[in-house]
Amino acid sequence: MQKQRLIKCFVDSLGVESSTVEGLTYNSVRQWDSVGHMALVAAIESEFNLMLDTDEIIAMSSFSAVSEILGKHGVASS
Amino acid sequence: MRLEGKTALITGASRGIGQAIAQAFAREGARLVLSARTPGVVKLAHQLRDLGHEVEAVQGDVSDNESAKTLVQLCRSRFGQLDILVNNAGILTPGNLGMVRMEDARRMFEVNVLAMMNLTQFSIRLFPKGEGGSVVNMASIAGTQGIAGISAYSASKAAVVGFTRAAAKELASQRIRVNAIAPGFIDTDMARQVSPEWFQKRVDGILLGRIGHPSEIASCAVFLASDEARYVTGQILGVDGAMAV
Repeated sequence: MQKQRLIKCFVDSLGVESSTVEGLTYNSVRQWDSVGHMALVAAIESEFNLMLDTDEIIAMSSFSAVSEILGKHGVASS
Repeated sequence: MRLEGKTALITGASRGIGQAIAQAFAREGARLVLSARTPGVVKLAHQLRDLGHEVEAVQGDVSDNESAKTLVQLCRSRFGQLDILVNNAGILTPGNLGMVRMEDARRMFEVNVLAMMNLTQFSIRLFPKGEGGSVVNMASIAGTQGIAGISAYSASKAAVVGFTRAAAKELASQRIRVNAIAPGFIDTDMARQVSPEWFQKRVDGILLGRIGHPSEIASCAVFLASDEARYVTGQILGVDGAMAV
């Protein structure tokens, strides 16, 4: 369920197809540039009601990396 | 009311310029989250609430990363978004060259520069997507002109100027405007901490013939934060009564 919420964050903030999200990496598509990255961060923070540190934001280089970082905030990846 | 429906986060809001900005923003209809190290910020929030304004206050050190996060989280939980950030918190420790403690200089950069940058990074995530927002930083005539006797403070405020101009360029695509106010000599506790001789010398150098009032900075902050300034970004607005330094 939480994984679907995370995928929706990607879809809503980056405008990508949900089927592509799990394979995405930073800058692999035009939409996930530095501006899109901040929109994604804002969407995730709002959806899961948390604040990410700058180091975490920099480390969010792929969908799996984002999932791992959110896991540290208690957001399950399933 | 020029700020009706907008949410503003103001740091250093317990006294002086920050307090005046908080009062002016409230009068203009903004919802407020106020921050300061001293308990005066809580008292100010009570006063503004008694007048019917929506205000939250947090006592804390904005240069502390967790405190900064907490502030922004409060904006989200209480008001759902943020439209205006006023990076006003600042400290001044005077000292002539040769007698400037690096510890003091470092602390000024932590509060005046790094806290501003950090809070800006946190805050812009809450700005409404596509609708932009406004960041107002507090620079100083010391940062634009340099003032003898406060070289470290001058350097920190020059950094505020540089950050403001760079951030304005970087955030323009998100319709986020970033401007700064560079006050001259304003009648605050900070201005009063200098020697009487230094104080008089500064007033004598103001062509309008008097020290400024915090409300005169606040009115400029309202302008920069409002939609009246929707085409203004990357600017450093000197508010100094034509002060010579």
